[in-house]
Amino acid sequence: MRVLLVEDEVRLADNLAAALRDGPGYAVDWAGDGEAGDDYARNGVYDLVILDLMLPRLDGLGVLRRLRARQDATPVLILTAKEGKQTIIELLNAGADDYLAKPFDLGELIARAKALIRRGKGAAHPTLNALDVTLNTLEQSVRRAGVLVDLSPTEYRILEYLMHHPRKIISKRELLEHLYDYDWEHHSNVIEAHVSNLRKKLDAALPDAPPVIETMRGRGYRLFPGQES
Amino acid sequence: MTAKRRSIAFRLIAAVLLVELVSALLVIFLSWGYERHMHFRAFDVMLRGRADSVLGAVQDAEDVGDNVMLDLPDLHVPSEDVYEVWDGRGRMLGRSANWQGSSGFAAPQRDGFFHLSVNGKPYRLLRFHGSRIIDPGDVGGGKLRPVTILYGAPTVRVWHAIRGAVEFYAAGSLLLLIVSGPLIAWLLHRGLLPLRQLAALAARVSPEAWEFSPPASARTTPELAPLTHAIESVLQRLEQAFVQQRIFVSDAAHELKTAVAVVKSSLQLLGLRPRTAAEYQAGLERCLADTARLEDLVAKMLTLARLEASAAPAPQPANCDLADCLRSTVATLQTVASLRNVAVTLQAADNLRVPIADEDCSQLASNLLLNALQHTPAGSSVELRADLTDNAADNAIAFTVADHGEGIHAAALPHVFDRFYRGDPSRTRATGGAGLGLAICKAIVEKAHGSIQMESQPGHGTTVHVRLPRA
Repeated sequence: MRVLLVEDEVRLADNLAAALRDGPGYAVDWAGDGEAGDDYARNGVYDLVILDLMLPRLDGLGVLRRLRARQDATPVLILTAKEGKQTIIELLNAGADDYLAKPFDLGELIARAKALIRRGKGAAHPTLNALDVTLNTLEQSVRRAGVLVDLSPTEYRILEYLMHHPRKIISKRELLEHLYDYDWEHHSNVIEAHVSNLRKKLDAALPDAPPVIETMRGRGYRLFPGQES
Repeated sequence: MTAKRRSIAFRLIAAVLLVELVSALLVIFLSWGYERHMHFRAFDVMLRGRADSVLGAVQDAEDVGDNVMLDLPDLHVPSEDVYEVWDGRGRMLGRSANWQGSSGFAAPQRDGFFHLSVNGKPYRLLRFHGSRIIDPGDVGGGKLRPVTILYGAPTVRVWHAIRGAVEFYAAGSLLLLIVSGPLIAWLLHRGLLPLRQLAALAARVSPEAWEFSPPASARTTPELAPLTHAIESVLQRLEQAFVQQRIFVSDAAHELKTAVAVVKSSLQLLGLRPRTAAEYQAGLERCLADTARLEDLVAKMLTLARLEASAAPAPQPANCDLADCLRSTVATLQTVASLRNVAVTLQAADNLRVPIADEDCSQLASNLLLNALQHTPAGSSVELRADLTDNAADNAIAFTVADHGEGIHAAALPHVFDRFYRGDPSRTRATGGAGLGLAICKAIVEKAHGSIQMESQPGHGTTVHVRLPRA
């Protein structure tokens, strides 16, 4: 999952980015002002935007309005230090999905980020199920037919993204964009190795079953090829 | 001076009643004079008529001496009246029966009307000289016999009538006083209604509702217009101050919450997963740095609050040497300047004493210098100058800080000394700080009754002009 963080307080941004990377293992892009944030949002693909309200050049509300004007449905979490009811109503009406008042709890921020992301993908439960594979986003654990599959953080993140889109062909580029921050192109040569390892581990858990991930040459990857759930 | 002040309505009513009382007394006095005059004029006419009838009663005595006599049986006058009649030789011809005393009632020996006490009662008397012609059928038209008549009538009834009239006027005036008191009170109450309405409207104003819309009559009534105008202008100024205060509190809250959020997130980040000792060490150092920034922010806000709160002059007016202060500030910030590769030059005349406390002066100098350093590109310079103003009569000191940075847009210039204002909106917190430094400078300078201005040419640099009175 890739998150855009728009926050002008450098130290706070550092801490938030570190927490999002450390905790749920998201890729985080950081923009220090509203215009930069808008620029990032237009050119990147994000699963969540975390937006500070008071920003130089263009405030959070401006960034949000531009985002929604582009029909961009990315979930938006607003960080605010002004908790006036009117401001919050205005924010939610402008298309914000949630807000957190400073000073907030990092654990709460991560939980809200997770919830917004899974809602954005159309899921309500923190555990993702697809046929015999179960992925628990809270424990960050994966089971196939009840058997625990031990995955590396990157493998887990690849599977999480694929689980959100079962049976849909996910291009290598899309996978890269959601897994890494803005310098994702540097990781393009290793993604194939990660997918390959992931497939081996999943297949090993249930040896007789058909492969979980199909590689479609030149097009990408697909979870549970040709199977109806 | 602790005595309770009477209400204006009370004082007005008292004044009106007092005026009425004086008028009533005047009316009583005048009416007494008038009534007395009119009654006695009528009385005198009557008195003369009766005296004439006494004269008519003087008859020829039918004796040899051609004397005259008073024909008493034919004389009909009120029994209380008194009279005496003398002939030309001073012989008394007769007098009224109710008078037994000495002749002439001790009356003055001249003609005319006068008051006299007769038998212990007030009387008005008339003395006049008349004459009777006796034997008018004789040759030569008869003989002329002079007589003197003194005639008096009691004045008790006249005085009674006068007193009655005066009492009527007095009673009327008293009634008027009694009726007009409550009437004036009621009219005043009604008349002052717009004033009370205005007060009620003004009382309804609160920080939540600044609305004060007096009726149009309040603006056009000559007595109410100045009050309405005063209330409106006071409210307007209060609202401005209140809005500014609210903005300040909101901005301050935002800054504090953000600073606290940084500290809190730094601590929570450490707790997210187990860390190595080195990671904890680094994390704690970051937390300490975050706390230091929070501390700095709080210190700045408190400085600003202190400067703005103490409007009253200090009991012992502080003063310091600006030149000394500038030299030590430049020395302190030399490292910062070197790191940024900016040259700092200082030209200061000696003995520039300004009415600012030492620490405030250092703060002023360092805030201005730091601000200039932050906006000066590497390789450039910042110039500080301090000297007496050209016009010696001013007895003032001019102090300038000039940089050659990117400058500030004209639109932003009026706001640079506002609290929490961060000059160019493109400047992030990383370089801008909380935006309190210049606000503190302004507060320090204004407390010393000086002035501070910023002049800037985008692309060429910015100069801050400070003008301070000499201590």
